[in-house]
Amino acid sequence: MTGLQTPVKLPAQTELQTPTKPSRLWSTVFAIAVGAVVLVAGAGLKITWSDLPAMPGQIAHYLRLMFEAPNLEKLPRALFETWRSISMAWLGAIMCVVVSIPLGMLAANGVGPWWLRTALRGVFAVIRAIPEVIIALILLTVTGLTPFTGALALGIAGIGTQGKWVYETIESVQEGASEAVRAAGGNTAEVTRWALWPAAAPTLMSFALYRFEINIRTSAVLGLVGAGGIGSMLSNYTNFRQWDTVGMLLIVVVIATMLMDAVSGAIRRRIMEGAKVRDVARSS
Amino acid sequence: MHTDARRVEAGDIPASTSWPVELKSVSVTYPNGTKALQDVSLRIEPGEMVSIVGLSGSGKSTLIRTINGLVQATDGTVTVGPHEITGLSGRRLREARGHIGMIFQGFNLAERTDVFHNVLVGRFAHSSPFRTLLGLPTKADRELALRALDSVGMLEKVWARANALSGGQKQRVAIARALTQQPSIMLADEPVASLDPPTAHGVMRDLRRINGERGLTVLINIHLMDLARQYTTRMIGLRDGAVVYDGPAGAATDADFEQIYGRPIQSDDTLDARA
Repeated sequence: MTGLQTPVKLPAQTELQTPTKPSRLWSTVFAIAVGAVVLVAGAGLKITWSDLPAMPGQIAHYLRLMFEAPNLEKLPRALFETWRSISMAWLGAIMCVVVSIPLGMLAANGVGPWWLRTALRGVFAVIRAIPEVIIALILLTVTGLTPFTGALALGIAGIGTQGKWVYETIESVQEGASEAVRAAGGNTAEVTRWALWPAAAPTLMSFALYRFEINIRTSAVLGLVGAGGIGSMLSNYTNFRQWDTVGMLLIVVVIATMLMDAVSGAIRRRIMEGAKVRDVARSS
Repeated sequence: MHTDARRVEAGDIPASTSWPVELKSVSVTYPNGTKALQDVSLRIEPGEMVSIVGLSGSGKSTLIRTINGLVQATDGTVTVGPHEITGLSGRRLREARGHIGMIFQGFNLAERTDVFHNVLVGRFAHSSPFRTLLGLPTKADRELALRALDSVGMLEKVWARANALSGGQKQRVAIARALTQQPSIMLADEPVASLDPPTAHGVMRDLRRINGERGLTVLINIHLMDLARQYTTRMIGLRDGAVVYDGPAGAATDADFEQIYGRPIQSDDTLDARA
């Protein structure tokens, strides 16, 4: 109120009481330190900078080899392998979600006991720290070179992040409904089933589909270590240096991935927004 | 005292299942050091209709939550009917809560779940976990839930999702959920603070009817003077976690309210002025 009147009342010459500018010393020091680290890191690598001018030409050369005349001869095989990759991704996503939803819920504050929460979060963190490829390599020794190994690796590797998403979602659910269930004498299981689950379910379903999308991309990488699917085929033909077939495979991978992304993304949007649209229609 | 007079008034209403509430020197200090309640002693007789008034932060919410153990008293004892709430935990606390109905300012329904399953929450403390987790009520529980919905005029919405209801409808469903417990006492934490004036009067009338017809002990947290005077018979004033007023609600003067609030009356202290 007075703030609005001051400029009118006071003469223009009065010196403004500008707040002291906060010190930027530490952020400056930090920025310089980061810059130094970048320079030192670059200097440590033996990069032959003289090769750099030749790179664009090299890239263009290989792009031409791959895409000038993609070899469509192996297309049916490529589509079949793509299908195996998608199956692997889907199976892996289901395994991951089926395990991580209950475990993630138990790891949420207010659901599981503290010792279980700590243990589960520890397990999630360890899994997150291990790349899928490493898990696949370990599994290969047991289950052999099959797409099932890939699915299993995806299923296990995903639990780390998926479990974290689940408990963070559960913890972000509004308190109200849980309090009501507790006030009526409900136990933790009942609170979880009838207050937390209804509120979190659409988000969790969306995350499940998101896991599938991620797995489709990752399954191509897993193929590189021999877990089967389009990735294996890609890896083989790269080793044989049959660039025209590699080009065709890359096109298939990109199109298939984008297609599955679009379909899954559309379903996810429907899950998250569909309910809201229906509410508006009902309450009007 | 005034409580005796009201017991005579309510004498012809069967109140056999209604419970008294007794707080003996109850103090609550939250982990962050906030002293929410300080040495509160109260006795509420079965079948009383009590309002607890005070500004936000005065300890109303804490007081009402010590009665069903949602907040544990740091000191003192809370006794509700046959249960000493302060000594209970786990299964026995849940069993006691099963007899204490509660409604909230924010309704606290499971928004994406239908009205029927929201109301069935009221049977959780009284039925097997197997049935409650699967959402398969016994015939008797189903009947109780539907009757409770009918008694608040919400039976036709039984299959609607909670988030498709208006605020007033949600609060009625919440009342039905509490009634499904077949409670011996009813707690209401600012039940009308999120509602418009006509709906607020409707919900207050529902609470008065529950008190009148079933002889239930009803405790209502409220900060609106006119509603406290109009619908409740006894008023307890809280300020800074201590009881500063305890007397008949209808006779409470503006001066009494100013003393409870510790400041002059403002226009938003009454519902009708806000309308």
